[in-house]
Amino acid sequence: MTDILRTIDLSKRFRKTVVLDHLNMIVPEHGVYGLVGPNGAGKTTTIKILMNARQPTEGMAQVFGRDSRRLSPEDFTQIGYVSENQQMPEWMTVEYFMNYLKPFYPDWDAGRAQELLRQFELPPDRKIRNLSHGMRMKAALASSLAYRPRLIVLDEPFTGLDALVRDELIEGVLECSDGATILISSHDLSEVESFASHIGYLDRGRLQFSEEMTSLVDRFREIEITLTNSSPSPISWPAAWLNTEQSAAVVRFVDTQFDQERTMAEVQRLFGNTHHISVNRMPLRAIFVTLAKAGRKAA
Amino acid sequence: MRQALHIFKKDVRHLWFEVAVAITVVAAFTFTGARRALWLADPVTNRIAAWTLVMILLPLAWWTLIARVIHDEVLPGDNQFWITRPYSWKSLLGAKALFILAFISIPMLLADGVIVRAHGLHPLGAELPGLLWSQVLLAIVFVLPIAALSALTTGFVQLIFAILTPCVIALGVAIVAPEVVLTGFLGASDWVKMYYVFLVISVAASAILFWQYSVRRTSAARSLAVAAGILAVLGMTLIPWSAAFRIQSWLSKQRVDQPMAHVDFDSGNKWLTRAVIERGDRVRVEVPLSITGLPPGMLAKPEGFSVQLQAPDGRMSYADQLPLKYASNMGQEFSLQVTVDGAFYRRVKNEPMKVRGSLYMTLFGNRQTVRVPFGDRSVPVSRVGVCSASGGGNLQSYFLICSSAFRFPPVLVSYRFIQSAKEAVEDVWPSTQPRRVISYSPLPAELGISPVSQDFTFSTVRVPLSEGRVDTVEPIAHIRRNFEIENLRLGDFEVRPAPVSP
Repeated sequence: MTDILRTIDLSKRFRKTVVLDHLNMIVPEHGVYGLVGPNGAGKTTTIKILMNARQPTEGMAQVFGRDSRRLSPEDFTQIGYVSENQQMPEWMTVEYFMNYLKPFYPDWDAGRAQELLRQFELPPDRKIRNLSHGMRMKAALASSLAYRPRLIVLDEPFTGLDALVRDELIEGVLECSDGATILISSHDLSEVESFASHIGYLDRGRLQFSEEMTSLVDRFREIEITLTNSSPSPISWPAAWLNTEQSAAVVRFVDTQFDQERTMAEVQRLFGNTHHISVNRMPLRAIFVTLAKAGRKAA
Repeated sequence: MRQALHIFKKDVRHLWFEVAVAITVVAAFTFTGARRALWLADPVTNRIAAWTLVMILLPLAWWTLIARVIHDEVLPGDNQFWITRPYSWKSLLGAKALFILAFISIPMLLADGVIVRAHGLHPLGAELPGLLWSQVLLAIVFVLPIAALSALTTGFVQLIFAILTPCVIALGVAIVAPEVVLTGFLGASDWVKMYYVFLVISVAASAILFWQYSVRRTSAARSLAVAAGILAVLGMTLIPWSAAFRIQSWLSKQRVDQPMAHVDFDSGNKWLTRAVIERGDRVRVEVPLSITGLPPGMLAKPEGFSVQLQAPDGRMSYADQLPLKYASNMGQEFSLQVTVDGAFYRRVKNEPMKVRGSLYMTLFGNRQTVRVPFGDRSVPVSRVGVCSASGGGNLQSYFLICSSAFRFPPVLVSYRFIQSAKEAVEDVWPSTQPRRVISYSPLPAELGISPVSQDFTFSTVRVPLSEGRVDTVEPIAHIRRNFEIENLRLGDFEVRPAPVSP
């Protein structure tokens, strides 16, 4: 896989506020990359810089191997971008909006555009200003999928949508992506978890990790140990263990680098004999909460 | 080009109502402007109100249209749908330029042509350079600044704020320091400062538009707009009129033999010398001067002066490059007026002063007279435009009206009515002073929405008049002459204002 999106030491400051701090992120081609993180982590700023809507303070963002500041109209014919708070041409009807965009894209597929309107149940003659938020997002998405973009960028696309509309959108994206690279940002992991192949976790402008979804889910485990005797807390916990808690005979923590043999050996070293060890896989949401809590504690 | 046309079509579809309003206002402008040509035949009818209303509505309609079309693809911000679409900035800018050309510039070009023609002038002949240049000036002053401000704002509220802020600041300056505003006008040489402002506006507005459309750096572009505004205002207030005069002098078509004209103390009118005690411990010194040595048929018009009052002990008061408004003009004899500090005056008033200075003046010559018979026929008057005369009958009121296209005449114009019933020709309304506004601008048009400027005179004498006459003299050269007056004792001419009764 080649890198279709890449940031190199990307920093962004608004006066004294650091929004992005030397961000290095790679989105491989044909992947579905979920950029997650709490509100204010810098997800939208990263995407805006990638789309050349904002300028970096330092470093560089690359799209298709090209500096995002040099993105040409031809590059944008291969990019579909949908954002939660995108300003749309309110006066246009849905049909006029689609017809207006058509000549901008050499690969515009009129049949597919019609199919998308049908699939999303968009009323062609209704003005965009009269659409609900969900319908507007559908219209934006339909207009971004009709030309089979190589890269689809979705910035918090599901915020404020009900579950049904959200599922329709996800379904639409997956059905029509045709192997396109997808970058989706969200603060709600459950919506990304179902289809992301890669995940990047951004917190306070720094990328905490970026890896394949499967490896992420494999390395995070919630572990609960019941000790045979109460023992004092270790002087120092392993760096990979987060949210460590210890009561009289029970120890709980999240191992961020879980490996059956290594983790058990570490437990044995720190606590000696144990009565019971429970190892549980974690949903992405729980991983996210753990990381957010640990981040706050560190801050 | 294809994309520009596509965006243009979208704009037309979206803004058809605004376009219709703008075109309607231009049509009303054309109609009322052309009807003004009939003023002479029907001088009683008052069309000023309709004309004034149209003149106000026209720029408002343009500005609305410009703002709406540019705000259709808002430039500041990062949430607009179009910035992540394959828009070429050149196509977008081209579409907006095409829209403005199609619905503002071309209609105005046609309207001006129709109005000028209705006045008996020739928009495709002698007036063609003026017609084209006036469109350039309208674009620089009425289109470019609003287009640039629209490119820096996200909507109407921001735009109005951006327009009103400098207006409020200017109003504040005019109230607090009116002299700053008043010293900004140079009369017939105003065009020099105006073109400086036009240059600043056109360069800054073009740079802002180019910058915003190509890279959308709004903060930097806004700073540029503020800097350009400051630069324009500073230029208007700080460029000395003598600099404008020097440019004017450099552009003079003819060089005049320097020793020919002299400026001297007007000893025959010595009684006009005054030292008037004024409020605020200031003294207004008035010194009569006369211009001599001019060739026959040549007229001098003082434009400004610099003067230095020097006491025997070397103390001095200096007034530099004051414009003519401080001098009372009486043809070739006139009086300089200089205000000096009261303390300086008291120290030197009984001492013989030396007054030295320079007078800046324009020499006029090549007098021409054109007869304008009463009737419907317009008579062309070189470098003025066309003139017609009407009247007589029972009302015994006579009118003489001259229309000029796109600019004030570059010559001094005066009007007369002639009575020849008793065989001897007599001026009934002799104009000893030229009465029409003059501009020394060498360019074929001046800034103005109305393409035709009119001037008229009338007489209601109870004798039959035979014709009107239009006299013109043209500026030949703009020159400076030094003068020196010895042994002027100001105290001898002291005048105290009469006390005001409570």
